[in-house]
Amino acid sequence: MFDIYLPIAEVSVNAALLVVLGAAVGFISGLFGIGGGFLMTPVLVFLGIPPVVAVASEANHVAASSVSGVISYARRKTVDFKMGGVLAAGGAVGSVIGVEAFRLLRLLGQADLVVSLSYLLFLGVIGLLMLWESLGAIVRRRRGEPPKPRRERRPLLLYALPLKVRFPRSRLYISVIPPILLGVFVGILSAIMGVGGGFILVPAMVYLLRMPANVVVGTSLFQIVITTSLTSVLQAGRNQTVDIVLATLLLAGGVVGAQLGARASARFRAEELRALLALLVLVVGIRMGVGLFVTPVDPFVLMTGGG
Amino acid sequence: MQAALPPPPTLVAEPSSAMVSAALTETHVRVTSGFRGARIVLYGAVFDPAAKPSDVVVLVRGPDQPIRIARKSRVAGIWINGRPVVFEGAPGFYMAASTRPLQDIAGFAALRRLGAGLDHLNIAAPAEQRISTRYGVRDMVVSSLGADYLDWRRGVLRLKAAAGLYNADAAGVQFVDRGLFRSEIQLPASAPIGEYSARIVLFQDGRAVSIRDRTLRVEKVGAERALYLLAHQRPWTYGLASVAVALLAGWGASAAFRRR
Repeated sequence: MFDIYLPIAEVSVNAALLVVLGAAVGFISGLFGIGGGFLMTPVLVFLGIPPVVAVASEANHVAASSVSGVISYARRKTVDFKMGGVLAAGGAVGSVIGVEAFRLLRLLGQADLVVSLSYLLFLGVIGLLMLWESLGAIVRRRRGEPPKPRRERRPLLLYALPLKVRFPRSRLYISVIPPILLGVFVGILSAIMGVGGGFILVPAMVYLLRMPANVVVGTSLFQIVITTSLTSVLQAGRNQTVDIVLATLLLAGGVVGAQLGARASARFRAEELRALLALLVLVVGIRMGVGLFVTPVDPFVLMTGGG
Repeated sequence: MQAALPPPPTLVAEPSSAMVSAALTETHVRVTSGFRGARIVLYGAVFDPAAKPSDVVVLVRGPDQPIRIARKSRVAGIWINGRPVVFEGAPGFYMAASTRPLQDIAGFAALRRLGAGLDHLNIAAPAEQRISTRYGVRDMVVSSLGADYLDWRRGVLRLKAAAGLYNADAAGVQFVDRGLFRSEIQLPASAPIGEYSARIVLFQDGRAVSIRDRTLRVEKVGAERALYLLAHQRPWTYGLASVAVALLAGWGASAAFRRR
């Protein structure tokens, strides 16, 4: 009824379904302060959109929902722009590497494998860690125990390295090398998996960089905006795989969903949100990874999109 | 690099007084934002003073697209793709419709010459082939895919058929009245853009006695075409524009929600 032909993906999909999907993922994105790419990309592939187009167009959608989120966090002054900028500088290098790596993987016919394995590995591990940590917090609260005191001792590595910089908003004085490396890593993932990388950035900022919890989400969204915008331009320029019609439909729903999600997040406790997100991350990771172990219906597979 | 292809088949129909004539209801398929595939009716007539039993075969080919295909195999418990193999000469769309099963209409050689039917599609993986001498026979074409070659070929045909891009219908051409026949070409939304050829062949006594060729053009029009061209001709401008749309939409939504 609302079917629309996508000019780059060259398939016909239901426009209303895409807007609703965009809104649902946007809601989750606003609720948890993540980009939501790890959810959307698998769904798009499931709908029959060629994976290369899904990954590239999704970067565009993540950029839109994250801008919407980052503006509201910036108003509450909970974005560390300096730290975000350093992460993004690393992210820029990472996106360039990631887009080139993805080209090479497609030529070798191994893009599917790497995408599935990355989902299984990263989402699986992070989902389990988050679930463990948040369930622990919930149980402690139920028993009326005080929350585990945060270890104030920061890893020595952050201080031992050269190029120390002051990050006033995060109340940190650390070397820029760890955040840059983190940015590079997330940039590569964002190009290969079609995700913003929030699900890795947020825990890494809390547990590795020891940033204060209140600035983590806004800063992560800020870095995601820059990295995904760059990835999107690179994918369009290098691989011609960004479908602007697809991205626009998704972000039309996504930006509204993100705002509603950000409001809804105030009604939940932080550890309950984290437990929910952990479950979601685990389910998606397992769903993507399962395909690697199940005997395929057809042993042959056509490589879409050419080289 | 590329193995020499066999000379193009001679398509001179054998002399006979019988003739076939055909036309498409639509020769121009316009792909717009509402495109969900197309159904094109082909109709035609057989003129034969002798009124011999006739069979009609309709062969439709879309623009050639090289196919990259890989076989999954199990390595350490997980299924991974092997090295991709490129098949050339494969049409992006193929349909073979006939009044009866093809093997009842004509013999192997006649069907092979015309490339009629999925079994006779002339596709090959030239990069896997080399010419060598075996058992004292010179110029043998040997494929590195070895004995599995037919499995690979069948894999290509099966996957294309599953996508609705290849089909063979042994009852796809119907005589609706004396000498008058019709057939339908079902193009899925994923049908490739470009020039299609429809070849209508009249068979009598197992021989192709008359051939008609028709063309069909599938092209993007309007906004679809403009966006596609922009994305491919000025990819960087296109990329910057799409990001600008995303950032503006995000900013717009947050501004709109603040006012409420």
